[in-house]
Amino acid sequence: MTGSLSVPYISTMNDPIYLDHAATTPVRAEVLAAMEPYFGVRFGNPSSAHRWGREARAALDEARERVARCLGAHPDELCFTSGGTEGDNLAILGGWRVLKDKGRNAVVTSPIEHKAVLASVHKAAAEGAEERMLTVDATGTVTMDSAHALVRDDTALCSVMWVNNEIGTIQPIEALANHCHTVGAIFHTDAVQAFGKVEVDARKIPFDFLSISGHKIGAPKGSGAMFIRRGTPLEPLFFGGSQDRGRRPGTENVAYAVALATAAELTMAEHDAEGARLGKLRDRLQAGIVAAIPDAVVHGRDAKRATHVLNVSIPGTDSESMLMALDLQGVSASGGSACQSGSIEPSHVLRALGVRADIAGAAIRMSVGSLTTDAAIDRVIHVFSALALKARGLSAV
Amino acid sequence: MKERVLVAMSGGVDSSVAAAMLVRAGYDVVGATMKLYRDGAEVPDKPCCSLDSVNDARRICEKLGVPHYVLNLETAFGHDVVDDFVNEYANGRTPIPCVRCNTFTKFRDLVVKADGIDAKYVATGHYARIVDGALHRGADANKDQTYFLWGIDRSALSRMILPIGEMTKPETRALAEELGLHLVAQKPESQEICFVPDGNYAAILEQKLGADAPSLSPGPFVTNDGTVVGTHDGFARFTIGQRRGLPGGYAAPIFVTAIRPADRAVVVGPREELLGRGLVVREANWLASPMPSLGDRVGVRVRHRSPIAAAEIVRVEGAEVELALDEPVAAIAPGQSAVFYDGTRVLGGGVIEQAMGTRPARPARAALPLLEHRG
Repeated sequence: MTGSLSVPYISTMNDPIYLDHAATTPVRAEVLAAMEPYFGVRFGNPSSAHRWGREARAALDEARERVARCLGAHPDELCFTSGGTEGDNLAILGGWRVLKDKGRNAVVTSPIEHKAVLASVHKAAAEGAEERMLTVDATGTVTMDSAHALVRDDTALCSVMWVNNEIGTIQPIEALANHCHTVGAIFHTDAVQAFGKVEVDARKIPFDFLSISGHKIGAPKGSGAMFIRRGTPLEPLFFGGSQDRGRRPGTENVAYAVALATAAELTMAEHDAEGARLGKLRDRLQAGIVAAIPDAVVHGRDAKRATHVLNVSIPGTDSESMLMALDLQGVSASGGSACQSGSIEPSHVLRALGVRADIAGAAIRMSVGSLTTDAAIDRVIHVFSALALKARGLSAV
Repeated sequence: MKERVLVAMSGGVDSSVAAAMLVRAGYDVVGATMKLYRDGAEVPDKPCCSLDSVNDARRICEKLGVPHYVLNLETAFGHDVVDDFVNEYANGRTPIPCVRCNTFTKFRDLVVKADGIDAKYVATGHYARIVDGALHRGADANKDQTYFLWGIDRSALSRMILPIGEMTKPETRALAEELGLHLVAQKPESQEICFVPDGNYAAILEQKLGADAPSLSPGPFVTNDGTVVGTHDGFARFTIGQRRGLPGGYAAPIFVTAIRPADRAVVVGPREELLGRGLVVREANWLASPMPSLGDRVGVRVRHRSPIAAAEIVRVEGAEVELALDEPVAAIAPGQSAVFYDGTRVLGGGVIEQAMGTRPARPARAALPLLEHRG
C-alpha cells in the first residue's frame, strides 16, 4: 500500500500524507486505553478522602512518578499543566515575579523562541522587567558569547528552547544552564520539541524549569507538564486550592496525567530506534528534494538538528501557494507560524537568522513522525519537487 | 476530471452561495479567504484580522466538504489599494478602493494563486454576469456591482465565474437557506469599505498621512466667485455633492461643488453648480471588443447605483477619454468611476479626472488615435 497511514479516519481521503508531527500527533491507542477509565469508573476527585478520591489520587501520584522517571526528576519536581504554553508562561512570569524585587529584574531569551515564550517575556517587560535578546548565528543556534554578555547577576531568568520548532536546531542547553548557575539566574527551557527527540535528563543537565507538551508525543492536546527543580522559587499563575503544592491550583486532570505518563514512557522506550528511523526518513526527504532542486535552501542544515524536522525554501516560490498546492495533492505540511486566522505570517525565526525575506517567505516545514512511512517519503519527494518546479515556472512568467 | 475553481470567500452570504452553487454544479471547488489588512491596533504577537469572517468561510467550506485556505495578500493590497485610497483623498478626490481591489487583488493576484493550484476559474459572489465572454450587469438592478468591475484585465473575463449574477439578493438568501447555509443566510449586508469598518475613513488618513497633513488641515470654504464663507477642518473630509458640515444661512441648500487641493479650498454652491455636462476620465480600460471609438454613443454611470446617462465619446488620447453628456448629471466627483455601458454590457470605464460645466464638443478634425488595452 503506497503511503498508507495507520489512522483510518485520515486515510479515507486519497492517501493523504501527514508531515506535520511538530504541530501535533494523533493520540496513541495505548494512551487512549490507559486514560479511558478516568473518564468513567475511576472518575474521582484526587482531593477527596473517600475511595473514589483515593483511587484517583493513586493514579495521579503514579503518573507523576512515571513522568518524573522519564525526565530524571523527583516526583515533587513535576507539575502537570495544560501544555507547553502554560509551562512557558508559568516558568517565565512565575520565576521573574519572585526575583524582580531582589535585584534581579532582567529576563533574557532568544529571538527564535516559540511565541509562548516571547509573549511571556514581553508581558514581563510590560510589567517592568528588562528584556534582553540573545544573538542567534546564521546556523540557527544561540551564541554563548551573547549569553555571557547578557545573563548577569542582575538576571532573574533566562529561557531558551531546547529544539527549535520551525527548523529543528538544537540549542546549547547544558552550557546555558551552567552559565545561568554561575550568575545565580534561573534557567528555563521549552522542551516541547525536544522530549523524545534528544536526551532530556534532569540529572545530567542542570536546567531549573522545563516545559513539555503531551500532544507532540501521542497524548491529548491540553496535557503537559513542567519540571521545577527543588529549591527554585516560583510564583503561581493561578490561585485557589492546594493542588500540586499550590503551584497549579485546580482539580487535577487525572486522565490527562495518566495519558502523559503513558505517552512519555512509550516515547522513552522507543527513543533510540524511533530517532534513528525518523532521522533516516528526514535525511532521505532532504536529499531527494535537494537532488531534484539543487538550489533548495535547507534551514538549519549547518547546525545540530533534531531528526524530525526539515525546513526548506525553494527560491522563486512562496510558502502559501506551495502549502495550498501540497495540501490539494494530499501532502500536509506547514509554513512559518500559522496565525489565528490560518494565514501564513513571515517566520520570526528565519528573520532572526538573517534569511532573506523572499527565501523566508518560501519556507515549508515538514516534520516526520509516527505516521511517516518510507513510501510516503518517496511520494512527497516526487510531489514536492514537481510542484515547486511548476510554481517556479509560473512565477518566472 | 472535474474543473477546479478557486472561490473568493468573504464569509458573507453571496460568496458562500456562489461556492455552494459551484459544488452543486459539479466543480472541484477550493475556497479561499483573502487576508487584506490588519484590524485595529497592530500588536506584534497578535497579527490576525477579520477572524469571524475567516471562521465563517471556513465553516461553510467544511459544510460543503471542500478545502479552504487563507491567503495573505496584505502587502499587495496595501500598496495597490490602501495607498491609492489615501493618495486620492490627499489630492482632493473621492476614491473607490473596491474597484482597485477587483482589478488588482481579486482578478489579478487571486488569478495567479489559481494558476498555482491548476484552477481554471476564479469565482466571486459579485452581482454581475459573464455572457459570451462579456461582462454584463447583474439581474438584480439594485445590487448590480459592475460599477466596481470595469477595471479588470480583459483576459480575466474568460477565467471568471459569477454564479449569483442571475439572482436577486432575496433569491440568494432564499437559496442559502435551501442549501442549509444558515450560518450566513441572514447575515447583514456590509456597506462599509472593508478596511474602514466603522466608516471613519478620516481616521485611516490621519494614521497614514499624519493629523497635520494639508488635506486634513483647516482651509477656506469659498463660493464660485471666490468669496470666503467659512473655514473647514480639512478638504479630505469632504466629497462632491456633500451637504453635511457646510456653512449655514443660505436660502437654498448648498453643496460641495469642487475641491481645490492647491489652496485647500472646498468650493460650495447651489445645486445648479453641481451639474456636469461632460467629463474626462483617466486610466480608461476596455472590456469590449472591438473597443469603442470616437463618436460612439454609450451609457455612462458616474456613481454606484446612479441612473445610466446617455453620452458621446468626444476625445480619446491613450487612457484618457472625454465624454459629452446629453443631459446634465449632478455631482460628478473626481476619483469616482465612470463606467460605460451598451445596454447591460459593460464596455469599460475609467477614473473620473474632471467634470465639465459646459458640454464638450467633438473636435472637427477627428484624429483617431489607437486605443490601447491596459497591460
